[in-house]
This record gives sequence, structure tokens and C-alpha cells, in this order.
Amino acid sequence: MILRAAIGLVSVAAFLLLWHVATTAGWVSGVFLPAPGLVAKVGLDLIRDGELWTAIWVSSGRVFAGFFLAGAVAIPLGVVMGVWWPAKAIVDPFVSLLRPLPSITWIPLTILWLGIGEQQKIAIVFLGSWIYILVYTLAAVKRVDPLLIRAARNLGASDLSVMTRVILPGALPGILSGMKITLAISWSCVLSAEMVAAQTGLGALIWQGKDWGNLPQVLVGMVGISITVLIADAVADRIERLLLPWERHRR
Amino acid sequence: MSTPILTAEHVGKIFTARGADSVVAIQDLSLTIDEGEFVCLLGASGCGKTTMLNIFAGFTQPTSGRVTLRGRPILKIEPRCGMVFQSYALFPWRTVLGNVEFGLQMQGVAAAERRRRAERFIEMVHLKGFERHYPSELSGGMQQRVSLARVLAADPDVLLMDEPFAALDAMTRQTMQDELLTIQEASRKTVVFITHSIDEAMILADRIVIMSARPGRVKTILANTLPRPRRADVQLSPAYAALKAEVWSLVQAEVLGHAEATRLRSD
Repeated sequence: MILRAAIGLVSVAAFLLLWHVATTAGWVSGVFLPAPGLVAKVGLDLIRDGELWTAIWVSSGRVFAGFFLAGAVAIPLGVVMGVWWPAKAIVDPFVSLLRPLPSITWIPLTILWLGIGEQQKIAIVFLGSWIYILVYTLAAVKRVDPLLIRAARNLGASDLSVMTRVILPGALPGILSGMKITLAISWSCVLSAEMVAAQTGLGALIWQGKDWGNLPQVLVGMVGISITVLIADAVADRIERLLLPWERHRR
Repeated sequence: MSTPILTAEHVGKIFTARGADSVVAIQDLSLTIDEGEFVCLLGASGCGKTTMLNIFAGFTQPTSGRVTLRGRPILKIEPRCGMVFQSYALFPWRTVLGNVEFGLQMQGVAAAERRRRAERFIEMVHLKGFERHYPSELSGGMQQRVSLARVLAADPDVLLMDEPFAALDAMTRQTMQDELLTIQEASRKTVVFITHSIDEAMILADRIVIMSARPGRVKTILANTLPRPRRADVQLSPAYAALKAEVWSLVQAEVLGHAEATRLRSD
């Protein structure tokens, strides 16, 4: 474990060194790739004046608003579709038609409807995420052991109780692991929306860097995205473990 | 005087599978079970005994005939016939306490009262101290105890048990049989218990219903005269050996008869 970490660390250090040598020795022009030292300096400046934090904060807020809205719509819908076939028959054609659409294709319509403010960014995240959560929820509901439903009915459970107290908790591990995958998709939605039309956020920070020929800022934005999404993943893992205490003993 | 609680009246069940011949699982099965009685349905696998139990629980409907609980036909899943499943069917996301409380929760019992009653049944099946454990942390025998406590807490009129101890090792099984006898003798619950073990039927039952296979029907009903209160050590008594010889000859005749019939058919 320690050896693995050490090798990883050495590997990253070697990469940074190679990058440093390549840019300072003039193998690669600074117009195409700035030196790592310069990127670090610009990054520190952006941290000091608070610009990077603001960008991370604004983008995260948009992701979570859109993501939770998507979950609030897609999870109950998925459970109902999983237990009541007419609901599935009604929604299925729309899922089939909407699923192939990348979220960026919604940008023109959403700008027309909602402008270029927060609502439009949240809408893009929502539109790009809800179908995935729905599909994962549906699959998880289908995998709930029918014997447990039978046992619950034998103990006097009503239709509603079966849904909320058996199918939902039974499907929760599958739903949560699907949501973790969807969270990464939500992030790519917000960044594409911010690159097209936004004054704030990580995507806007990168796009402004490009417009002003400030390449180090573009790279700082990219690193910022990486680290933010990594932290969001770790937090999601934590939340998953808190919500599924019974799964801890299975592994 | 004994009062009938559960009856099967000329029950038949035919399964039709796509692209295959239909299978007669049960044919003209009639049986009356009295209040407080412990009845074992004994038969080889494929004799339709589990199907019969599922019909009593309302999980499946008979093709012909009917089943009644206290004179009323069973037409849908019947919570007054509590089922103990062979594979436990515990809710993995609920603790032992949460599982045992489930039926009471469905009945709308208030939280404090629910807790009190659940704890009583957890103690009865000797799981005190495990209330906060999840099923995955428990052994098979302990999980089946939880399943038993869960059904007992819901207080059904009849306990239906589908080979509940078949997946357990011999020693655990014997302990569970003893405990079930103690609980049943104290509560006087009506029990319909399915098994393919002659010994298990003889240790537990007041009456042993020997079933014939394909189609499943009642071959003989045998009163178990071994004295009560009974424990698993009843197997050591001379009366046990005598009764076992009788059951054995009946079952053997059935098995041989079945083999003979199959042979003639294939000739």
C-alpha cells in the first residue's frame, strides 16, 4: 500500500520534472504549453484573490442543485415505473428519445427559455442527469428480491408500504452507485454550459483564460475541476456508506 | 373439543408452462387442521407440499377447490397465515429489532409498544443482545430465529413453515426443533410445517400427513402418539422406533409405488 503510493508519487514528480524541462529548455513553446512553475504561480494568485474559490463554489452549487432536482424527480418515477408497468409504458418512449441527446444540445433552447443565469445552468445539469438516475433506479428496482416483497405482504404490508419500505431500501444500494456515476456526468454538464455562456464558475474561468490568451489560467481551471470532482466523489462515497450501514458487513 | 381452523377442500393445482405439458402439482387434496394443532406435511421433493403451503398463504390460488381460514375462503395474501421461509427472507437493511417490528409496524402499533413486543419475541428466540445487528452479521440458525420472531410478533392465527430448518447443520437443527416445540407448547399456535425428514415430522408433529408425489395428494394421515411435552431426545425412546418403522413402511410403499408406476409408464 505504502509502496504503491510511493511509486505513484515518484511517477507524478517525474512527469512534472519532464514538463518543466521540456518547457524551460525550449523543446515546447510557451505559447502552446506554459511551464508548471508559471501555472502554479497563476494558481496561487487566483487562490489569493479568491477567484478560484468563487469559481469552485459557484459551479458546485449549480451541480448540486441540478443533481438533486434530477434525483428528486427520477428516483420516485423510477420506483413507480418499476412496480407499475403502465407508468413504464408511458415514459419509456421519451426515455428512448431523450437518452441519446447530449446535454449540450439543450443549451440553445434553455438559453431561449431561461436566459444565461443560474436557472439555465441548473436546467442543463438536470436535463443531462435525470435520465441516467432514472435508468439506474429502474434497474435497481428490478433486482429487488421478490421473496422480500412476498414476505412483506405476508406481514400485512400495503402497496404503498411495499414501495417505500421494501422496494426503495432494497434498491437503494443500486440507486446510490448509479448516482455516483451520474454525479460525474452532472459535472461535465455544468462545465459545458459555463463555457458557452457564463460569467462565473470553473468553465467560465477556463474560457476567459482562453479568450485572453492566459494559458496558465486554463490549466489552473482544469486542475481545479479534477480536484473538485475527486473531492465530490470522496464525499459521495462517505454519504453512501452512511446511508447503507447494512452493506458494511457484506464486503 | 377441537375446532377446525384451516381447511383444504378438494384442492387441485395445475401449472401450465409455455411450450411444455401442464403439470398437475396437487390433485383433490382435502385436509382439516384444528386449532392449536401441529401438523407436518411429509413428502419427497416434488410432491407439491410447498405449493400447498403457498396456497394456504394466499401466494397462489388453487386451480380447483378452495382453502378456508376459520370458514372464510383465502383469496389473497393472508397475513393471518404467517410464513417462515426456508431462506429466511429477512430485510437486509433492517436490524434484528427492525425486522421483528415490521409486522407490528404494518398493523399500526405505536413505536414504544412495538419495541416492547419485539424485544419480548427476540428474547424468546434467544437473541437478546443482538437487537442492533444486521442479518448479514448473523449465522443461518440465528437468521432463522429472527424470521421466527418476526412472524410470532405479528401474531398470526396460523404459522406456515416451509422446511425452515433444511438449510441448517444437524446440531443447529436439533436445537431449533427443541425451541420450536417449547414455543409452540407455550403459545398453542397452530402450525403447518413442511419437511422431507421423517425424524423431523416425528419429533414435531401431532399429526403427520404423508403425501404422495405427482400428482400431490394425501396418502395417509398418521396420529403421532409420542408423549408431550416432547424434546428432540424423544428419538431415544422405544416407542419412537416402533412409530418410525410404521412411517417408514408407508413412505417406502409410496416411493416404491411411484417408481413402479414410472417404470410401467416408460415401458
